Amino acid sequence: MDGFRFDLSAPHIVVPVRITGAQRVRWLNLILDTGSTSTVIDELVALRLGYNLESAPTVSVTTVSGTSQASIIAVRQIFAFGIAVDEFPVLVMPLPTQLRADGLLGLDFLRRRNLFCNFDKGILLTLPFSRSFLHRLALSAQIFSAL
Amino acid sequence: MDEVRPEPIEQIRQRHEGEWLLIKVTSHDKNGLPKEGILLGHFPDRKAAWDATEVIDGEVYVFFAGPTIPEGWEAVLHGWVSL
Repeated sequence: MDGFRFDLSAPHIVVPVRITGAQRVRWLNLILDTGSTSTVIDELVALRLGYNLESAPTVSVTTVSGTSQASIIAVRQIFAFGIAVDEFPVLVMPLPTQLRADGLLGLDFLRRRNLFCNFDKGILLTLPFSRSFLHRLALSAQIFSAL
Repeated sequence: MDEVRPEPIEQIRQRHEGEWLLIKVTSHDKNGLPKEGILLGHFPDRKAAWDATEVIDGEVYVFFAGPTIPEGWEAVLHGWVSL
């Protein structure tokens, strides 16, 4: 994938993410959050994707403001930055209405690639892990072009 | 009846600044991201937009056309999970 362009004036890096749910395929905007261990989507979104949250297991989530409970579901597929992952676990919890995004793209997804972020130009590169000297050289060229 | 033609999603976003949009995706860019679509609805809040998706099949994009947090607010995210 070419570099992902993000809005330098925005308070967050917002990433369009395609989620294939139990019944439907939807694109939604998630906030890139390297501080979140897990990817999170809003409760209403999960319901509209066709998930039954009453039978979903729950986990405890610790945030800077306290602890709460979240349901955990496995979406059929999540797609972002050109990367598709099947049966991906996602936390589900109600998000504040003031947050005008539908969740967080957390480290559990992001750590599948190396991330290079140019905050001067608003370019985010997701690169595969390097396997050889020649591969590293090719990746370096991509990073150089984003500088 | 006039046929509704797809238009660039960025164009729709600019026309409906400050609203939640429900767009049927009709084409993607070279990175696989939504590029063009047909506006199916525009709403004042998330709930109204997602409720409207109930009766729509296919690839649909729901998002807020504007800043992710209102002016004067700050967002502190982060979370740790314990099983």
